[in-house]
Amino acid sequence: MTTDAPPAASSKRTTLNARVEKIFDHASDTRSLFLSLTSGKHLRFVPGQFISITIPLADETRSRPYSIASDPEDRSPFEICFNRVAGGRGVAWLFDRSVGDTLDFSGPFGTFTLAPEPDSEEGFIAEGTGIAPIRPMLKQALAAPSAAKIHLIYAASDRQHILYAAELDALARSAPNFSYEPVIAPAESIYDRLSELAQTRWIAGDQDRTRHLYICGVGKGVLRLRDLLRGAGYERRAVHYEQW
Amino acid sequence: MMAKIRRRCKRRCFGLRGDGFAESTQRIISIANLNPMAKLRIQFENGDPEKLIEFDPAKAPFHHDGKPGSILDVMLGHGIHLEHACGGNCACTTCHVIVKQGFNKLGESSDQEEDLLDRAPGLTPTSRLGCQAVIEDPNAEIVVVVPRYTINQVSEAAEE
Repeated sequence: MTTDAPPAASSKRTTLNARVEKIFDHASDTRSLFLSLTSGKHLRFVPGQFISITIPLADETRSRPYSIASDPEDRSPFEICFNRVAGGRGVAWLFDRSVGDTLDFSGPFGTFTLAPEPDSEEGFIAEGTGIAPIRPMLKQALAAPSAAKIHLIYAASDRQHILYAAELDALARSAPNFSYEPVIAPAESIYDRLSELAQTRWIAGDQDRTRHLYICGVGKGVLRLRDLLRGAGYERRAVHYEQW
Repeated sequence: MMAKIRRRCKRRCFGLRGDGFAESTQRIISIANLNPMAKLRIQFENGDPEKLIEFDPAKAPFHHDGKPGSILDVMLGHGIHLEHACGGNCACTTCHVIVKQGFNKLGESSDQEEDLLDRAPGLTPTSRLGCQAVIEDPNAEIVVVVPRYTINQVSEAAEE
């Protein structure tokens, strides 16, 4: 096999460099890193976007995406959260980072972001670490002048993996237009449960098909939810999703 | 709407443009044998020299990102960079390419790819995501253009 070096110009990427400021373990296999730009500047992004981290493995360099879990308005370090996956070399490298280590990334990227100016309900469905992009999206939606209803269905395999639970509870108490429904279901049937709940609330519940719905999670179940909602009469562009 | 237009446009045959490979085209041949070899010619809107990859689709995957045998997989496996910020998982549009020749030779796009392309800057009727567009036909001759803006479209404005 003959290969040659990537052409210089097209391989030129604008990378940013960040320092790990803090590490927080949500569970033994789920961690958040809090990062600040070593340039001293603030990362500008839209809630829902991700960064692409350069993972320097022994034999090659990979780029892997991580959603930003924090609010862009928050001037403190920004947060990514991730969980260990079998055979996931990129995430294993991230688990090995310590406070003070630096990493390169590009971005932010991604179009899983809030539709402008909703005039009807916004529904969110998160599974596991799929809450990461949705967390700042919720804050953005709640900060909007409209008092449109916002509902979150958030599923995980156990209580420990419902991330930001206290914060979401507090938000549900303080924001009258926000409601939140944590769901615990076995990993293998988590999307069956989410589909039932979405069916009950947003399909059988009423005839309104004007709401925007946002889904984020791991695996093909995300696409099942998308198809369920679109099949029930929601417009294609009103069903937003990000599948990891 | 744009996705629907794109779907309608899919059956259109886009004629061969710029026939014959430029002198400066670098040929990258994976394995010299007598089997038919698919051809993937890559042009860069940023002025980088054109590349030509000749490969046997049956040998896919060539790399580990994107669908096996996809434009992204073939390019990365032959040492040619194509941005793929999401790791080739059909979750962004940074591997967007415009297919100038052989659009109908590529594997069908999924709803997920169409939904993403719908939000890609500079969408054309023959746009595809490099990580999803699979070349299966050993006789395929595909020509793609890598748009300038896919190369780190956002990063320069990311700090404030």
